[in-house]
Amino acid sequence: MALAFDEYGRPFIILREQESKSRLRGLDAQKANISAGVAVARILRTSLGPKGMDKMLQSPDGDITITNDGATILEQMDVDNQIGKLMVELSRSQDYEIGDGTTGVVVMAGALLEQAERLLERGIHPIRVAEGYEIASKIAVDHLQQISHKFEFSATHIEPLVKTCMTTLSSKIVNRCKRTLAEIAVKAVMAVADLERKDVNLDLIKVEGKVGGKLEDTELIYGILVDKDMSHPQMPKQIEDAKIAILTCPFEPPKPKTKHKVDIDTVEKFQTLRQQEQKYFDDMVQQCKDVGATLVICQWGFDDEANHLLMHRNLPAVRWVGGVELELIAIATGGRIVPRFQELTPEKLGKAGLVREKAFGTTKDRMLYIEHCANSRAVTVFIRGGNKMMIEETKRSIHDALCVARNLIRNNSIVYGGGAAEISCSIAVEAAADKYPGVEQYAVRAFADALDSVPMALAENSGLQPIETLSAVKSQQIKDNNPCCGIDCNDAGTNDMREQNVFETLIGKQQQLLLATQVVKMILKIDDVISPTEY
Amino acid sequence: VDFTPDFHCPCASIRNREGQISIVKIDVDEGVFGIRNTFGEGRFSILQQPQIILLKEGTDTSQGKPQLVSNINACMAVADVVRTTLGPRGMDKLIHDDKGNTTISNDGATIMKLLDIVHPASKILVDIAKSQDSEVGDGTTTVVLLAGEFLREAKPFVDDGVHPQNLIRSYRAASYLAIEKIKELAVSIEGKSLEEKKSLLANCAATTLSSKLIGGEKEFFATMVVDAVLAIESDDRLNMIGIKKVPGGTMRDSFLVNGVAFKKTFSYAGFEQQPKKFLNPKILLLNIELELKSEKENAEIRLSDPLQYQSIVDAEWNIIYDKLDKCVKSGAKIVLSRLAIGDLATQYFADCDIFCAGRVAEDDLHRVAAATGGTVQTSVNNVIDEVLGSCEVFEEKQVGNERFNIFNGCPSGQTATIVLRGGADQFIEEAERSLHDAIMIVRRAMKNSTVVAGGGAIDMEISRYLRQHARTIAGKSQLFINSFAKALEVIPRQLCDNAGFDATDVLNKLRQKHALADGEGALYGVDINTGGIADSFANFVWEPAVVKINAINAATEAACLILSVDETVKNPKSESAQGEAAAGMGRGRGGGRGRGMRRR
Repeated sequence: MALAFDEYGRPFIILREQESKSRLRGLDAQKANISAGVAVARILRTSLGPKGMDKMLQSPDGDITITNDGATILEQMDVDNQIGKLMVELSRSQDYEIGDGTTGVVVMAGALLEQAERLLERGIHPIRVAEGYEIASKIAVDHLQQISHKFEFSATHIEPLVKTCMTTLSSKIVNRCKRTLAEIAVKAVMAVADLERKDVNLDLIKVEGKVGGKLEDTELIYGILVDKDMSHPQMPKQIEDAKIAILTCPFEPPKPKTKHKVDIDTVEKFQTLRQQEQKYFDDMVQQCKDVGATLVICQWGFDDEANHLLMHRNLPAVRWVGGVELELIAIATGGRIVPRFQELTPEKLGKAGLVREKAFGTTKDRMLYIEHCANSRAVTVFIRGGNKMMIEETKRSIHDALCVARNLIRNNSIVYGGGAAEISCSIAVEAAADKYPGVEQYAVRAFADALDSVPMALAENSGLQPIETLSAVKSQQIKDNNPCCGIDCNDAGTNDMREQNVFETLIGKQQQLLLATQVVKMILKIDDVISPTEY
Repeated sequence: VDFTPDFHCPCASIRNREGQISIVKIDVDEGVFGIRNTFGEGRFSILQQPQIILLKEGTDTSQGKPQLVSNINACMAVADVVRTTLGPRGMDKLIHDDKGNTTISNDGATIMKLLDIVHPASKILVDIAKSQDSEVGDGTTTVVLLAGEFLREAKPFVDDGVHPQNLIRSYRAASYLAIEKIKELAVSIEGKSLEEKKSLLANCAATTLSSKLIGGEKEFFATMVVDAVLAIESDDRLNMIGIKKVPGGTMRDSFLVNGVAFKKTFSYAGFEQQPKKFLNPKILLLNIELELKSEKENAEIRLSDPLQYQSIVDAEWNIIYDKLDKCVKSGAKIVLSRLAIGDLATQYFADCDIFCAGRVAEDDLHRVAAATGGTVQTSVNNVIDEVLGSCEVFEEKQVGNERFNIFNGCPSGQTATIVLRGGADQFIEEAERSLHDAIMIVRRAMKNSTVVAGGGAIDMEISRYLRQHARTIAGKSQLFINSFAKALEVIPRQLCDNAGFDATDVLNKLRQKHALADGEGALYGVDINTGGIADSFANFVWEPAVVKINAINAATEAACLILSVDETVKNPKSESAQGEAAAGMGRGRGGGRGRGMRRR
C-alpha cells in the first residue's frame, strides 16, 4: 500500500492492519498471477491424451486417488493460490457443463497465459491482449462449427455414439475395455434419454461399484441394483414376476407424532395393549399379502417380530433402503411409494420380471438385482474391478462417457479429436490474424500459437517429437485441406482421425475455448492484488 | 526537569517538578522519536509551562493546516487505489481478506468497501462511493476519482494559505454551474417509440458494461438488461429482477426468463415421479408445512384405553390428508411452499400428477406470487381460484449441473430473472455486480430520460464552460473555479492512461475540439479503440445525465467536507469510535449542507 506521511512524518494508517497486508500491483501482479496459472496447467499437461499419465493424490486422511481426470486432480490438490483456484473452478465448470475435456481446458488456459506473458513483456496493454484473445476465440468457435460433422443416430443405430465415447475413454486407465464400457454408457443414456426433448436426466442412471471380479465383468442392468439383502437369511433368493410393495413406513405399530402416554393400570389393559401390538404386526403383513405383493421394500427397519412374521408368511422383504434408491425403484418398476399400510392397493405395486440376490466371490456380500422392470427408464451401471481406486477411477470415466453421450443427444455435431480440431482452428485463426489492424493482431496470433500447444502436449505424451509431428500434421492439413488430420497417438499408421474414429463433441470443444478465454481474460484484467501476508 | 537520554541503553530518568523520578523508555525508530513512560501514570511534561490536560490521556489531536494537508494526502492515496479501474480498459482488483474470501472486481464501491479503510477522512470517500452506488448504481469509481482530484487541486492553495472556506464556496458555486450545464446539454429520449427507446437504453447499458469483465459480450447483456427492466416496467421494487448464478458454461449461455426461475429445492423420494412440465398450470403458493407432524408442540395425549390408540394415529393422518386433498381440489397443478413439503405430501402429489417444491426461498416465492398473480396462502382452507397464480409454461430444466424450475410467460409480467453462467465463481459474482450497475443505469435512464455523451466528453465540455466562466469573475474565486475545471479533466486523462495512450496528447486534442466556437466539438470524447478522439454521442457512448450530476454533487460535497475539517481528535480507547468522532466533528463543522449530502 502506498504510504502517505503526515506533517510529523508519521505514516498514515489508511487501511486496517495496513502493515500486515501485502500488495502487488501493475505488471508484477500480472506476472505473478500468470505464473501461478501456468504452474497449475503444467501439472495437468502430462495427463492429456490416450498416452497421458495418471496422478496419485493422497488426501489428508490418507485416502488415495489415482486419476487422470483434470477436474478430479485439481479438486483433490487443494490449491491455495487464488489464481490457482480460478483454474480449479475453470475445470470444474467444464465438468459441470460438459463433463469431459476438463484437462484440455486447463492446458489451453495455461498456454494462453504463457503466450500473454510474452506479449506483456513487449509492453502490450493486458486488456488489448484479452480483447485479441476474445476475437480469436470467436473465430475459432465459428471455425469449429464449420468443420463439424453431424451424424445421425437412432435408438437402434448407436454406433457413432459408441465411437465418440470410446475416444473419451481411450485416455483413461480403463481403455483396455473401452469398447464394452462405451457401449454400456451409450445404452444407459439411450435408456433414460428423452429423445424428443433432447433431455437426459443423468440422475436416473445409477453407477454402482463393487470390489472384486474384473473390469470386463462390468455390466449394465436394466433395472436397479441395491446394496442390500433380504431381511431374513431363509427368504427366497430369487423371485420371478415380483410384485413389489414400496413402503416408507416401518413395520412397527404406528406412533402418533404428538406426545402421548398410555395409562395402564390393570393387567387386562396390558393384555389388550399387547394383543393390539401383535394385531398390528399381523395386519400389516396381511395387508401386504392381500394386495398380492410378493416382495416388500421398506425404507425403514423392522422389528424382529415383524421379520419373523414375514418369514413365516413367506413374504420376502428388504429393509433400510435409502430414499434415492427407493425412488429409483419406484420409477423403474412403475410402482408408487406407499406411506402407510392402509393405502396399499394392487395398482400401487411395482412390477419386476426378476428379483434376485447375488453373492459375490467368496465374500458374504450380497446385492439385490431388480431386473426386467415394467418401465426401464432407470438403469444401473455395475462396475467390477480389482481394487477400490480402480473402481473409483472407472466410475469417473463412465461419468465422462455418459456426459459425452448426453451431449451428443443434445447436439449431434462432432469434430475430430487427436488435436485435429485445434490444429485446424490454429490455421484458421492464424490466417484471420492479419486482417486485424492494431495490437490485437499479435494477441490473435498468440492465440493460434496457444492452440498448437494441445496437439503438442498430445504428441509429447505419446513419445513423439512434438515440433516435428505438429508441423508435419499442420502442413498436411493445409495441403489436403483436410481438417481431420491429427496426432497419431496410438501409432495406428494413419493420422486421419476419421479413419481412426477419434471424435469429440462440438459443444465440448467450443466450451473449452470459450471458458479458457474467459478465465484468461479475468486473470489478465487483475492489476492489483491485496492480501493478508500469511497467505 | 532533569533529562539525560542514554542511547546505548534506550532509557532515561526524568525527575519532574514534584521530585518524582520516572524511568522512561526511548524509542528510536526510523526517525520516529518518542518518549514513553514505563510507569503507568504519565504526569510529567518535558515542557517548561504547565500543560493543561483537557482531553483524556492518550488522545491524539492534530490540528491546523498540516492536518488539513495530511487529510488531503490520505484521500488522494485512496483515490489512487481505484484510479486504474476506470473505463473500458480499466483493470480489476483482486482482494482477499483474512477469511480467505476472494473478490475480483472493477466496481468502485465494491473495492472501497473491501479495502476496509480506517482513516477517518478517507472514510468519507467510501461513503460517497456507497451513496453513488445506492442512488445511481454506476459511476462509483468516477465519484471517488473526482473527489480525490478536487482535493489534489485544492492542496497547493491550502499550502499557500488560502482559507479553506473560500475554496469551499467557490467549489460549491462551480459544482452548481456544472450541474446546470449538464442539464442543459443533456439530450432527452422522451417521446420516442418503444423500439427506439429500447436501443437507446441498450446503448446506455452497453457503456456501463464496457468497462466490466463481461465487456466482450456487452451487446448481448445490454439487450438482456433492457428487456428485464422493461419487463418490470415502472415497478420500483428492484428485487423483482432476480439474478441467479449457475457456475459452468460460458457467458453466452446466460439467459433471461420472463418470469421466475429458481434452483430445484430439496426433494423427498417420489419427487421424480411427478410431472415436470405443464402448460398453463394453476399455481398454489403456501406458507405452511405439509408434513405429518404433531399439531401442537407441547400438547400431550393421555390414553387410558389402548384401543383408542389407532384413532389418534388416524386423526393425525386425516389432518394431513385433509390438507393435501384441499390442495388437490383447488385445481392447482403446481404447489410451492416456503416451508417443508414432506415425503408423504410429495408422494401424494406425485399420485395426483401435481408438481410440488418445498422450502422455496422467501424472495423467490414472493417473486413467483408477483409474476403469476397468485397470493401466498397460510392455510389450505377456502382456496379460491383468485389466489391461484398461472403462467404459460412451467418446466424443470437442467442448467449446468443444477436443475431449475422455470416459470415462463407470466401474465402480470412484473418480474424477470436473469440466469447467469460463467466459468468461475468470482467471475459470476463480478458479472452479477456489473449487471446490477447496468440495471440501475437503465432504470435511471428510463425515469429521467436524459443522456449525455460519455467517454469524457461531458467532462471536457463542463471543464471548458467553467474555465470560460471563470474569466468573468474577479478575485480569488477565478483561480479556484479554474482548478475545479482542471480537476474535471481527470476523467478523460485517466481513461487514456488506463488504455496506455498518451494522455497529454489526447487531452490537448480534446481541448482544441471543445474550444471550437460554435460548439460543434462538444460531443467529442476519448476514442478508446484508436487512441484518438471521436464523437462519443455518435458512437453511442452514452451515460444517463443523472449519473454525472450525482457524481459531481457527491464529489464536491465530499471535497468540501474534508476541506472544512481542521482538527481531528482521536480517542484511543475504542477502535470503532475513532472514525465516528472525526467524521461527526467534520460534519458538525461542515454545517447543515454537509449533512445533507447523503440524501441527495
